[in-house]
Order: sequence, then C-alpha cells, then structure tokens
Amino acid sequence: MKWPLLCSMFSVGRYSIPRPVTRNLEDLDSVQSILLHSDLEPEWLDSVQKNGELFYLELSEGEEETLLQDSSSEVPAVNHVRFCENEAEVIQEGSRKERKYEPRLKKITKILKKKSLLPKHSGKKGTGGSDGHPSGPTSILKHQSTQKVGVIVQQRYKDVCVYVNPKRLPNDGAGEKLKLLEALVGIVHQSSWSNKRAEKQGEQDRSNKGINEEKLVVHGLIPGSSAIKTGQILIGDALVAVNDVDVNAENIERVLSCIPGPMQVKLTFETSVFEHEGTSQQRYKQAQSAMNNLVKLLWREDNMDLQLAIQGMPHIVMYLTLKLDSETSKDEQEILYQYPVSEASQKLKSVRGIFLTLCDMLENVTGAHIISSSLFLCGKLVQVVYWKESDKLLVIGLPAESVPLSQLRNMITDVVRTLKFMYGSLDSAFCQVENVSRLDHFFNLFFQRAIQPARLNSNASPSAQHYDSCSALFLDNLPGVRWLTLAQEIKMEIDTALSDLEAADFAELSEDYYDIRRLYMILGSCLFYKGYLIGNHLPKEDLIDIALYSRHYCLLPLAAEQRIGQLVIWREVFPHHHLQPSEASGVTGYREPEARYFLLIVGLRHFMLCVLLETGGCTSKAIGNPGPDCIYVDQVKATILQLEGIDSSIEERLEAPAIPCLSCADWFLPASRDKLESFTTPPILSKLQNTSKTTASPISKRTLFTDSSLRTRKLSPSRSSGGSDNGSEGPEEGGGLNLLATVDQVRKHERKESQSFGGSEGSGSLFKVTKKKHTLPNPFHLGNLKKNLSEKDTELYNAVKLTSGPENTLFHYISLETMQGIFITPTHKEVQQLSGSIHPQLIKNFHRCCLSIRSIFQQAVMKEKKKNADSGSNLDSRKASSDLNLVREHGVLFECSPDNWTDQKKPPPTMTYWVVGRLFLHPKPQEFYVCFHDSVTEVAVELAFKLSFGLAT
Amino acid sequence: MGEEGGSVTLLCLTASSGVPLFCRTTGAPSKHQLPFSVIGSLNGVHMFGANLDVLLTAACTANTHVVWRVFHNSITLIVLSAEEGASDFALGRLLDNTFSAMVLILGLEELVNIRNIERLKKDLRACYKLIDSFLAPLERSGDLTQCVECVPVPHGAALQEGLEAFVAAAESRFGCLVVGGRLALATEPWWQLAPQELLLLSWLVGSLPPPTARDYPIYLPHGSPTLVPRFWKPLLEPLQACVRPQPHGLPPGTTLPPGVLAFLLIHREQRSSQSSVQPPGSGGEGLSPRRRARALRHFYALVAARYFPWEGSPAPPQEPFQAGFPHRARHCYVVSATHKAYAIHAPQHQLFLLLAPHVPTFALRPLAARALQRLTGDAAC
Repeated sequence: MKWPLLCSMFSVGRYSIPRPVTRNLEDLDSVQSILLHSDLEPEWLDSVQKNGELFYLELSEGEEETLLQDSSSEVPAVNHVRFCENEAEVIQEGSRKERKYEPRLKKITKILKKKSLLPKHSGKKGTGGSDGHPSGPTSILKHQSTQKVGVIVQQRYKDVCVYVNPKRLPNDGAGEKLKLLEALVGIVHQSSWSNKRAEKQGEQDRSNKGINEEKLVVHGLIPGSSAIKTGQILIGDALVAVNDVDVNAENIERVLSCIPGPMQVKLTFETSVFEHEGTSQQRYKQAQSAMNNLVKLLWREDNMDLQLAIQGMPHIVMYLTLKLDSETSKDEQEILYQYPVSEASQKLKSVRGIFLTLCDMLENVTGAHIISSSLFLCGKLVQVVYWKESDKLLVIGLPAESVPLSQLRNMITDVVRTLKFMYGSLDSAFCQVENVSRLDHFFNLFFQRAIQPARLNSNASPSAQHYDSCSALFLDNLPGVRWLTLAQEIKMEIDTALSDLEAADFAELSEDYYDIRRLYMILGSCLFYKGYLIGNHLPKEDLIDIALYSRHYCLLPLAAEQRIGQLVIWREVFPHHHLQPSEASGVTGYREPEARYFLLIVGLRHFMLCVLLETGGCTSKAIGNPGPDCIYVDQVKATILQLEGIDSSIEERLEAPAIPCLSCADWFLPASRDKLESFTTPPILSKLQNTSKTTASPISKRTLFTDSSLRTRKLSPSRSSGGSDNGSEGPEEGGGLNLLATVDQVRKHERKESQSFGGSEGSGSLFKVTKKKHTLPNPFHLGNLKKNLSEKDTELYNAVKLTSGPENTLFHYISLETMQGIFITPTHKEVQQLSGSIHPQLIKNFHRCCLSIRSIFQQAVMKEKKKNADSGSNLDSRKASSDLNLVREHGVLFECSPDNWTDQKKPPPTMTYWVVGRLFLHPKPQEFYVCFHDSVTEVAVELAFKLSFGLAT
Repeated sequence: MGEEGGSVTLLCLTASSGVPLFCRTTGAPSKHQLPFSVIGSLNGVHMFGANLDVLLTAACTANTHVVWRVFHNSITLIVLSAEEGASDFALGRLLDNTFSAMVLILGLEELVNIRNIERLKKDLRACYKLIDSFLAPLERSGDLTQCVECVPVPHGAALQEGLEAFVAAAESRFGCLVVGGRLALATEPWWQLAPQELLLLSWLVGSLPPPTARDYPIYLPHGSPTLVPRFWKPLLEPLQACVRPQPHGLPPGTTLPPGVLAFLLIHREQRSSQSSVQPPGSGGEGLSPRRRARALRHFYALVAARYFPWEGSPAPPQEPFQAGFPHRARHCYVVSATHKAYAIHAPQHQLFLLLAPHVPTFALRPLAARALQRLTGDAAC
C-alpha cells in the first residue's frame, strides 16, 4: 500500500497525538457492541426508499437553529418530525417515502419508552421499518419487519415544530422551579383554569385511560419564546403530544425534562380552529424528498433570487433520442429528459434540431462524434457539449462566461460518469419515470455548481469563500480528490481503522455468528475529514467515482462546515472499474465476479467515511433492492467514532503554517509595506526567525544583500527608479534589530534586483552569488529533506520552502497525482493566512490560468493515447504530425499592480509572477501547477518540479 | 493552413437563398468535394437557428472544426478544417480574410446586393487565388496576425526616394515595394491604409502571376470599399532587381541568439510584422521550415486567443477568454516534444519565438529578451 508513505515527507515529527486513539480490542468492541446490541433502532430507517436507496441528512445543531429561526413560518422539511404511526397524524401528508424524520427525537422516544412513559404506542410501533423497506434476504440484518402503516387523517390535530434548548434555561437557583413548559417552549398553562375546559374538549380520546388527565390547554404564550415565534400556536389549542408522546398536565414536565440538548421538537395540538387550507398545502409541499432538502439547504433562504438569476441564464440539459418512432405521435417525443423548464432554456430547447442534425451530419462527414458547438443567443455565447451513446444524445449547454468550453467538456464527462455510477447507464438514468425528480435535483445542483460555485459555501469566511469560488471550477474537474498530508502516526491510525473495518471481522459479521454467508464484502473505503481525503483503501477508479458522487451532492463542503450532524447514504452503484472487464484482467485470468455493488457513506460531523460493498461474489446474492444494513452502517459509524480522537491532531495540522511555505503577493509590493507592520506576523517571518537562529544571523544576511543591491544599482542606474527611495529607507529600518524590517528589506532588495534586470542574463549570475552564500538548507534536495525528517528537526522543518533564495516566493501550487487520483493544494486555512488585496486576485488568476494550461495538457494526453493506439501503422508519419501538440510544460508570466494607486507622479509599482504547469507522463502521469514570484531563478523552478515527485512518493 | 493531415474546405453561399457560390479545398484530395447534401445541411442548420434568433457559430468533432459566419446578411462562409491544431481563433481569421478578399476584388456593393448569382459566381473566380493562399499560407503568418509582413531592405533610403518619385509620376499617393510577398517599402499614405488592407494587398500581389507590370483595380474593404484607387507599378521590376531577397528576414548585421528556429515580431502600433522560419544560425536542425511555420502559427493562435490582449479584427462576439484574468499576461512559453516556444508582450512589440528543444527552459526568458532587443534595436524592450 502506497498510502501511508504518501505524506511522510512532510509529516514526521510535526504532530503529536494528544488523544491517542483507543486501539485495544476491548475498547473497540465496546463501541461496537453498544451500537449493535442497543435496542435503538437507527434513525434513518424510515427514510429508506422503495428501491432501497437512502439519503439521510441530519443537520448539525447550529444549522438547525439558524434555519428554524430564519424562517419561522416555513418549517424546514429537513427536520420535519413525524413518527411512524400515530393518531395525531400529520394532515395531508405526502407520499410516505418522502418523509423525513428527526432522529434524536426518536431516541427520546426510546428513552421514554424505557421509562414506560409511552404505554400505548410503543407496543404497536415495532421496528418501524417503513412500508417501502423491502424484505431483503433474511440474514444478520437486525430488523426486517415490514409493516403497513395506515395513514389516518385527522383534521383536528396540527403539528408544530419548535426549537428548544434546555441549556439556555434561566439558571436561577432561587425560587420555585420554573415550569419547563413555559421556560423551554413558552406555553403558559394554568391548571386551575383548565379543568372545565378539559371536559369540553376531546373527552372521548382520553376517557379510555381511566385517569383524570388534565388537558394542556394553551392559555398564553411567552413573548420571545420559540412557541410564539412559530406563529402557529394559538391560545385555546390543547397540547396533546410532544414528539408523539402523549402528554397531559401530569407528565408534561417529566417528558420535557427528557430533552437532552438543543433540538427541534414536534408539538401536536388539538385545535378548534382549523388551519387554513392554503397554508397547510404550502407547508406540506415542503415535505419533499431528501434531495430537495439538500438542494434547499445548499441554496439557503435567498434561493428565490438566485433561482431567478440562474433562470435568466440560458442553460439546459437534454437527453435526446436520434431514433424516431413514427408510430407514436407524442409531442416532443425525441426529448427523453430535459431540465430546466425556463424561458431562457426554452430557446435552447427549440433549437434541438440543430443538435440532432449536427450530431448526425458531422458524424457522417468526419467520422467522429460531435464534441461541442457554440451558439449565440440572448446576447450570450452559449457552449453546448454533446455525449453520444448508441442512438441517444446527451446535450448540456451553458454560457461561456460561466464555464470555458474546455472545462464544459470535462464536466459532461463527469456527469456521464456520475450518472453511470449511480444508475448503471444513461438509459436507465434518463428513461425511467421515477428518476425524473431525482435527475431534476441532480441537475439543479449541477447548474448551481457551474454557474455560482461560491453560493454553496455561504457559511464560510469571505476569504475561504473566495478561494472556493475561484478554485472550484478547476479543482472540481480534476481527476482526483483533495488530499491532506498528515503525520505518519495519524495515517497509521486511519489505515488500521479502515483495514479493521474492511476485514469485516467483527462479531456479527463473521460468518460463524449466524451460520450464513455474509451479505456484503467490503471492497474498500475512504475517509474524508472536512472535505479532505485523509485515508483511502480504494482503487483509483472507485475513489474517483465516489469522489465525483460526493462532490456532486456537495457532501464535502457540508462536512467541512459541520452543517451535518449525521449523514447516511446507501445506494446501489455501478462502478465502471468493476463492471467493465478490462484487458489487463483478462491477461491474468482474473475476472471480476458477477456481482452487485453498493455504496455506503456515513458522515458524522466533520468525518465522512465511504465504503464500497460487493455482494454476489463470495457473498450471498442480493435479491431485489436491499436497503441499508444496520450492521454495516453501525460498523462504519463505529469506525468513525473510533477515529474521532484524531480530529484534534488533524485540526492542528490544518491550523499549522503552510507546508511548503507560501507567500502573499501583497508582500512583494512596496505599497503594502507599511501595512505589513500592522499585520499579525505572517507565518513566513516567524519561520525565518526560527531558522535564522539556527543558521545565519540576520546581520550577516543583511550585509550580504546590501552588497548585492549595491552592485545592482551600479549595473543599472536607470532602472532602479522605483527602488531607489526604498533603498534610502531601507537602512533605517534595517538598522533596528527588528527582524521584520530585515526581512522586509531583503524582500525589497530582491524586488529591486528583479526590476533592474527584467530577466536579462545578468540577473541569473547575480542570483547565483547570493544563492551560494545562502545558508538555509535547500529544501529541494530530497536528501536534505530526508535528513531533516530523520533528525526530526522541527525548527528546520518548519522552514521548508519550495523556492530557493533568501525569500520564499511560492504563492500557490496544485499537484495532481493522476495515478493515485489525488491532488494536493494549500488548505483553506493556509490561504486564509495570506490576506491582502492582490493575493485573492492572484489566486483567481492562477486557477483560471490552470484551466487554460490543463486544457492544453489534455489535448496532449489525448494525442498521446491516439498515437499509442495506432502506433505500428506508419509510425513515422504519425510521429511527425502529432508531435506538435504534445505540450509538456506551459507557463505564463502575469503582471499586476495595486488597484487604487493614487500617486499621480509615479507609475504604480508592478509585481510579476509566473503560473507554470507541467505534465509528466513518465514514470507515472502527474500534473503540477505552481505560482511563484518572478524573482525566482529558473533553476529553482526545475527543482520545484522535482520536489513534486517528493510530495507524493 | 491545409497540410499534413487535415484538409480544409471553405464554402461560400448566399445567405438568403443558400445557393453555393464556391467551394475551395486544400489537403487530402480524396474527399475534396463535399456532396451537396452536406453543404445544404451545413447551411441549413445555421439558417434554421438564425430564424429562431439563435446564431450557430462553431462546432467541433474529435477531428474537425466547423465555423460559420454571415457577412452583411448576404454571404455565408463555412469552413471545415480537419487540420491538427485548428482553432476557432484561426478559422475566424480565415473567414474574415476571405470575405475581405472578396470585397477587395469585387467591391462590397456587388456582394451585398446580389443581382445575378451566376454572374457573381463567375466574378468570384478572380478571388480564388487569393483565397487559396489563405488556405495554404505556407511560411507566412500575416493572415493569422492580420499584420502586414515586412522585410528589411538594404539601402532603404535610396529606394524609398525612388519609390516616392515613381509614385508621384504615376499620379498616385499609394505605392509600395513588395519583395517575395512581403512589404519592403511604402509611401507614407500607404501606411495609412487599414492593416488588413495592407495585408490583403501584399497577399494579392503575391498571389498574382509574376508579370513585370501590374495594373489591378481593387476595392479597399476598410478605406473605400466602393471606390477604385488605381495604381501603376510599371517600373517595379528594376527596383525589385536591385533588392537581394533576404531569406531570413532580418535587418542586415543582426544575429539572433543560438537555438532560435523561427521568430515573429509584431509592431503593435503599426500592425506590421517581421518573421522568418530560417533565421541565420538556426541551421537545418530539427524541424523543416514548413513545420516550424506551422508550429509558430499554432503557438501564436494559442497565445493571442488566450493570454495577450485582443488585437486586430474581427472583434470577438463575446468577451474573450483573457478578459477573465484579473492580471495581465506578459510572457508565455510552451515546451513540447519537438520544440520550445516563447512569447513576449512588450509595450510596442510582440515577439514569438520558436526554439530548439535543447535550449534549457530556464534560459528561454533571457534568450527571448535578448532576441527582442536585437530585433528592435531598442534597449528598453
């Protein structure tokens, strides 16, 4: 396994593990046995759909509260609370499978049940398997009961969800205990009043209980309480149930005291006032599928404006058939699927004849499938990309201003791959009626991501959001997952935990336990933390499939912000890698078994663990559409819980200064120098401090650079216009022992050098002089690095920088390991540390340039493949003609200056930097993109690329 | 354009009726003639879209690029290019040049108000040579850069004097000296013509058979598309004879740094260019001149379409790719298996260099800077 090695280069000795993860088996077993043997039925069980699929999303607490408070009138359907079976059934409930359940409520129900506070319903409730839950093969599955649940519509009841937080109770010890009903919910009930009323209302329901239970009539609402905020609780209503637990004046306080923490609670009221038809209709329209909720969650409240803004953009996806059936004369029969239905896309839809004709005609003329076409409509250039498969045509159109054509081509490839992963083939995805709404959600997210990538992470800080929005377009289509380098020890922990899980050796999964074949074999798993991949035991292709899926549903950013409390996804998948017998496997005589595959994703807070399961190979065959298996879900959950101890170490890694060191573009402009003082000391300076202690004293350094700058001035007096006044200031600053000033001065001199020479030959030689004397260990030499690692010299290690020379000139980088399906790039935190006005622009510029560079590389790789494919036949002529586009390296030098330069006399200072991409095909495919200051000697660039090998070996 | 691998087919139709006016093809002769049904449907899809206010501009398959363009609601030009490295940028320029060439020969009036299609077809034959030269530009680059290609001449002052005298004698203000398809000298008014006109004129002269005297009526697409400034060059031959052609297109005495296989220098303000695919010292190593020219054209199209500010016509219909960059691109390089290429965008000039693969990548930039300095003779560049 290559993985543990991956980041060893950067990780050793950096992180201590403050909370060692429990590794002994008893501990592990105890976690598992709690999960296994507890009577608790999984919260998500009711959300399982008819086809066995599950998409269960539970919000984090903070998210829940904001959502609820922001939109008090509309109850977020995500947390729509409802129990399986209850007399107080929600009115006009939609179809069963679309409902969502509040999990923690159920836990309470369980607790209550145990405390026998729930005498009546608990008996009937049973396992709560939904009617949609199919009876899979009887095996080690815990619960398999299927139960038909009758939906009783009773108009007299209404459900109101309120947010309660017992931790915010007024904590006055003095006086009488405030009644929880008032303090927590905000409902005033005065028992003395209600005796008479209780007799009036609902006597018949309660009479069978034989106890004189006083009804909880609402006599008043406390201002500012959650009850009054809902606007749905009216005076005169009678509270009959809390989370479907029957309540009365006698037990209400006990029931409410069982609420452990902040959560949403469903109150059921008996009401004399009937709800207005319209509002209830509107309310329950919200109770749509989980996917819809996800979309809503990501779009947030302001979605209407956004929806409108996006609707104005001409964009479309269509699945067209090229075969026309003249028998059926249905309207628009060639359109098998279409999204969205808006005015702007209507125009694109109306010209589908162009798409069909072009596809057919160009294939006849040129002998190749159509890839793309460009249209001009509504004043916008719209790029349309095509995907033809047998006699069907998938078409996606987007404005060029949103997505460059080269990227759109990658996007359709990814869409096709994701759909095939989810549904097996495009036909099965698009041609089944029940998939239409799922696809609508799918493409809603797709266009949202394409047109306004930043919107998806509105929780994040502005700089992180900026970073996301300008990098998303590029990073989202890289054939890789964002990888976080971690210390060796932590990696070991993760790998061991994942291996344990994959072994499927735990008590009830062992075949001996029930004496039946196990249901699933775990093919592999991968673990994400805050959207970064931190452990992977999957083949590259599977990893990419899963990454594309979770990227598409924005699961990674959700986990990054802890907007999810719990996530359970289960679905059958069709991994291309296993289903398509490759030639290589034929050689070895190995054949993939005729098996079915299932994807299980469990997310808990920042962690997300994806597991690929196989059934039908060496395990028993799956019949029908098996739903998620509790035991597997629990085991995955247990693995995450087991690993939760490492999150502090990972956090530490995320908070740590960037490795390799990054610089901020603004530091290189004289204008920002004054501001620099007010910055909190940038990480680079502190690092330099560390190293200078151990290596060279600042003074020696200073003399060295003064020397070189003097020579510089002598050589080119005419060009040092911008630098001369810096020079006069320099010594003053440098005279102080302020290290910050020293570094600043160093920076200035360097700037001067680069300005005065502008890349002429002289600069190279001059730089060599300074470089030779430079005493910092050159981080490019892997030998050096290794030595550092072995010595565990953290001080030196902290100062690792990619560029040579006295100053770190690296701004940003992306390293894509095509073989492993991962890429490494600075984390959000690392980018956040570098604030400024120019730097965000630079980040944006870098990613846009990478788009362009990568599109050229992709052409090269395609050509290479083509060449390899028809090598042998007239090799020479082939070689001669196709070499032209085999670009291996591509770089662009950019120039920038401060935005608001007010000084009229002087031209604004400029800073120049390179964006360089390099493609390696041998020994293994790799792509590396760097952004660095102009002053770096080109030799150092060579070394930077060499280091890219070191990053991931 | 058309060579090595792909063919290029240029179709010209009337926009209103879809009658094919001509079809020019280069490259693979096997499928040089497209069947009429294909021509019809290529035009048909475009017309169908136009009726719905959707303008189809380009399409591409794995091996072919197609670009549509309508000029003055009257002439539709369609190009299919199976060339490697064909780009929307290069094909757009091709169509623009083609239409300008038609205007140059026939005048805009004739093309906008088509009275007799058969007559127009016959008249258009006069453009074939010029249009064909755009389809196969060989070692030239002016069609792509839309800059008039110049060649430095020795004894420039003396010749200039002769030219002025000759032009005055011919009762014209416009006069130029063309050497091997490239402009050597021109009178001051000549330079005031639009860059594309200058380009077209020198390409036109290059496309004509080599007689001693030329008297050719033209319409200037930009300056006076409907009037014919007629000029005479009866004494061109003796002048031409006294100029030794400079195959490497360098000012005398100038040398380029070693390793430079080809260069293209653009004077941005004047929209003039100098170029050579056989500069002295490059030797016969590596790529053939023809392939160097192709590589350089390809590199130019890439850089001009993506990074450097948009120059020349036509203005792109939508804001170009480079508008998305918050910062300005100044230099650019590409390293491929057979060559390296470097581009500089300086205040007055743009330089595109093709270099041998053995030149180290880190040396590209100083080398290019030196080349620019030597070519412009300006230390400030």
